[in-house]
Amino acid sequence: MAAPTSSAADSESVELADVQGNILRGYRKSMVRHLIAQVIDTRQARAWVGATVGPDRSIAPSITNAAHWGERPPDVCFNLGITFTGMQALGVPDSATISFPEAYREGMAARASKIGDWSDSAPEHWKPWFQASDAVHLILTLHADSAALLDQFERVMMSGLGGQAFRITGRNEGAAFDGDEVHFGYRDNISQPRFAQVSPPGKFDGQPSAPLGTVLLGYRTALEQLKWNLPDPPVLGFNGAFNAFRVLEQDVFAFERFLDRAAEQLLDSPLADSLLAIGVEQGVGSPSKRLAAMREVVAAKLLGRWRNGTPLALSPRDPFPDPRVSDTDFDYVDDNAGSNCPLGAHIRRTNPRGAKIVQRVANHTRRLVRRGMPYGPRWGTTPHDADDGVERGLLGNFICADLSAQFEAIYYDWINLGLQDPRITGSNDPLLGANQEDASWFDVVTSQGSVRLRGLPRFVRTRGGAYTFLPSISALRWIGSNEKR
Amino acid sequence: MSSVTSWLRQLFERILIRVWAWLQKTPVAPGGPRDSRQPTDNVMRTMNLVMPLKDKTAIGRAQAALVIGSSLDEIYSGLDNVGTVHMARFTIVDNNLLMFSFYDGDFHAYIRDFIMTLGNAFDGVVGLIEDPPPLPCWQHVDAFIEWVHQRDAFQLPDDPGTMIDVVAPNLDNLEDLSRYLVLQLDKNRNVQLGAYRAYPGYSVAQVRQRLGVGW
Repeated sequence: MAAPTSSAADSESVELADVQGNILRGYRKSMVRHLIAQVIDTRQARAWVGATVGPDRSIAPSITNAAHWGERPPDVCFNLGITFTGMQALGVPDSATISFPEAYREGMAARASKIGDWSDSAPEHWKPWFQASDAVHLILTLHADSAALLDQFERVMMSGLGGQAFRITGRNEGAAFDGDEVHFGYRDNISQPRFAQVSPPGKFDGQPSAPLGTVLLGYRTALEQLKWNLPDPPVLGFNGAFNAFRVLEQDVFAFERFLDRAAEQLLDSPLADSLLAIGVEQGVGSPSKRLAAMREVVAAKLLGRWRNGTPLALSPRDPFPDPRVSDTDFDYVDDNAGSNCPLGAHIRRTNPRGAKIVQRVANHTRRLVRRGMPYGPRWGTTPHDADDGVERGLLGNFICADLSAQFEAIYYDWINLGLQDPRITGSNDPLLGANQEDASWFDVVTSQGSVRLRGLPRFVRTRGGAYTFLPSISALRWIGSNEKR
Repeated sequence: MSSVTSWLRQLFERILIRVWAWLQKTPVAPGGPRDSRQPTDNVMRTMNLVMPLKDKTAIGRAQAALVIGSSLDEIYSGLDNVGTVHMARFTIVDNNLLMFSFYDGDFHAYIRDFIMTLGNAFDGVVGLIEDPPPLPCWQHVDAFIEWVHQRDAFQLPDDPGTMIDVVAPNLDNLEDLSRYLVLQLDKNRNVQLGAYRAYPGYSVAQVRQRLGVGW
């Protein structure tokens, strides 16, 4: 019953103008501002929400939908996420909200233990505007290419009905680095689910095209015959998606220091020459060159890609293979031992593709759309800079049709337990996991044997977040309608 | 103690519990295990699903026995494909159909994978239960998971120290803990008192791998 399927799902069509624009494809803007808002006047807020999909731009800005932009993209892309308490604050009746799934109703902070948000990642350590249980009602997300555009947009929005409807309690701002690079120095935003209805035809990455039900309510999912239930009335849920918004602080200093330590361990191991890039391993390079090269090997093993994005699955010993290899068209089925891409590497853990995993029904069924952007200044240009104590990290949106079945299942079973393969069970994701230095481990395997790296600290800490629903355009209109309900 | 004294004592206790409940609001603790930051605590977890039968006669119990017996193939198929269930057993106790299991990882993922793999087989089971979930189960997965969660027995920590730390962190002495326990057990009539294993926690796949039977 539960085998992944795509053919029937591919034939489903979607009205792109009814879907918020950041779900099925990204914007490629260089700056983002997430405004965290609390409703202060239910009636005004409902009117404002309705106006975001209405014709009068003097009342509220227009939600950016997924329809093709035409010649000129908007200067500012604007989207709206609503938490469960936000739905209540907007006066959406209980009869409608009660049918939303449990994870969304409870909210991210209440589910902290499921997603590894404990110790210094626990909600009590989050930014103030995320802490109270009823703290976040709306997350207004603006994308643009300059701060001036963002400022102007926000100023106009809050000077009108918006300012009477809700108040901004917090801001999370991010800005892209050149070349899609993120903190830790990796190139990001490489692989996303591809939707037959949206992406141009052609083979992209060897994975089944994702059915719309991967991210949108009301469509077939990757689990045969299953559609996630719509709330009542269906218009509230259809064409909507859930989003796990996360503020993830990255400890670059600890990461670079670990690369040093692990590289030295591997250089002292019998595996050293079988790991180093061809040319470097022959003793041609100086000790410092070998150390620098091994640091890059460690960074690649932890992620599953070289920092320039080249996948280990296709190029395990060379970050710059000639000829170039695809960044996305690979699988792990022929690498059962993990000698190319480690079994515990981040990208293999979070998307095992076609590899053998314990939960047979889960291949290709837990995929997420990821929209992220770095925040905070780029870390020093040399890897040995001292810890500057400045907060930096990633503003991440993990979009899916079912938070529990996709986002939380990945975090709980795969990132923080390694349940998908008995050889990594009991270890956490090396980059994103809730690691404790005295218990963490990561195996590097080659045909010559394996080395266990220990003492991985927690590199990524949660600084805030919320589960939101990204309603369709029709749903926003329904929420904003003045009809007596 | 005479029967009259015993009766009076129980009457007094019932009144006392109601007074305590009125004085001290105690939220119902959810069923199932608590999540742990120790990976070995998040494998071999226990579920104690208590499902009151609709028909509380021998006919109702016989129906349950027949439905379980006729679903063996699907149950074994489910166990194989879910890959995270160590064992599951069905028992009838006092007109309740009990499903007790040991499983690995996230409760929600376990139930979801199980019901998606089992298909319609579980519909026959829950159709015999009071207040069944929306059917078919696999088309109402989230509602089914919530239904199971509500009937999964509350799990008391094994020792008083953990009870204070985990269950009732606001309490600061054992006397208050005793009252808390009374009030919690007043609301949670079915509880797991402890689940013990003689060796560290391993996942199903780790056991199968080490036994050489494939995973």
